[in-house]
Amino acid sequence: MLKRPLALIAALLLILVFSWSLRSKPSAEVARTALIMGTLVEIKGVGSDEKSIEAAISDAFNSMRTVEARFSTRVETSQISLINRSSTAVEVEPQVLFVLRLGQEISRESGGAFHMGLGDLIKLWNFEAVTPRVPALSEIKQVLPASAEDAISISGMQVERTDPRTQLDLGGIAKGYAVDRALDILRNAGLESASINAGGDIGLLGGHGERPWKIGIQHPRNEGKLLATVELSDRAIVTSGDYERFFMDNGVRYHHIFDPQTGMPARGCQSVSVVAGTVAEADALATAVFVLGPAKGLALLEKSLDVEGLIIGADGQIATTSGLKDQIQWR
Amino acid sequence: MALSSLWVRITRTDRWLIAFTILAAVASLWLTIGRPAGQNVVIYEGDKIIFTAPLSQQRSIVLHGPLGETQVEIVAGQVRITSSPCPRKICIGMGEIHRSGDLLACVPNRVVVRIEGEERSYDLLSR
Repeated sequence: MLKRPLALIAALLLILVFSWSLRSKPSAEVARTALIMGTLVEIKGVGSDEKSIEAAISDAFNSMRTVEARFSTRVETSQISLINRSSTAVEVEPQVLFVLRLGQEISRESGGAFHMGLGDLIKLWNFEAVTPRVPALSEIKQVLPASAEDAISISGMQVERTDPRTQLDLGGIAKGYAVDRALDILRNAGLESASINAGGDIGLLGGHGERPWKIGIQHPRNEGKLLATVELSDRAIVTSGDYERFFMDNGVRYHHIFDPQTGMPARGCQSVSVVAGTVAEADALATAVFVLGPAKGLALLEKSLDVEGLIIGADGQIATTSGLKDQIQWR
Repeated sequence: MALSSLWVRITRTDRWLIAFTILAAVASLWLTIGRPAGQNVVIYEGDKIIFTAPLSQQRSIVLHGPLGETQVEIVAGQVRITSSPCPRKICIGMGEIHRSGDLLACVPNRVVVRIEGEERSYDLLSR
């Protein structure tokens, strides 16, 4: 071979051309953003064909808009608005029934900490107002339904409010459900890797290419800083915190996650992150655990099947479920 | 020894071929690994991209939404919303952003500002 340098060089060239032809096809990552359900939704899809990812993302956004039309209390024709206006039973679609049944189940498991019937309380606190105010206790009492478990009754496809103070507001579960359905659209379109982040409600399809998705968890008291990261594939993660929507009054923080027993903001936690199989379940459980506080909240997460979580108590103490301890990288 | 004797015996054409091979190898590495992407400011109205610009270029942009004009400024590699017709001005309160994937949003006026480009230490933020 050494007597034939040209042959050596030709062989090198051949190896080069061969390795170039074998290189993996560059994958495209498409990220698109839309404003749906009053929040910013970002969908990322990874694949080899940019156009088909774009089309799938567009369909996923449309699917979320459809869920919004069915569940939003701001849409007069939504099925939830119809139930809220009616004093008799209302026949609902299977999607609505599924979410209401899931909500009822989590209400029962959490001893009423998750409550779907606080619509009037949410309106009373009105965190959307330019200058929100703390309502009087008498005002709160007037709009507070007696019990989460008995807020509605379901018989077949019929749903009826059993307490006149119940006004359904599925903000704590419907957004998660919308993300789950949008993930179905992406999966059915053939995508193997995608993520949807709807204002912190995150659903993941596969990993991020060859590796898991790396999820940063917001520090509850240090804006712009991470508390931890966790690597996940094909999972959902939702964080509920007292720092997202709040106002200060006389040095007291009033936030948007209410204790159904008092009608006041729950005081046990700064933030709760829940990892589950679906975003709807993670969404509702994060609210329930936040209301229950660290001790009871951790017990609920530990007994829930295939669910993990991270709780930052009001005193800043951190508690994690046994299955998540080894997966978290602290920052 | 063998290499030095080889060097003596190779012709000018061989040297050209060696130079070409090395250049091709370097070029293929460069194309495979890729250069780090420059960061861009991408502005959406709803889900439509209506403006993009490099993060390094200082400029002020006025956007027209359903409520009126939202003003966005890019200064010294930072982006912020400086004025907005929305009632609570939460978008202004979100301050400055500069990292890839960071977002500013004015939901009432349907304006979203996103930074795209270099990698960061996580893919998504749960908050």
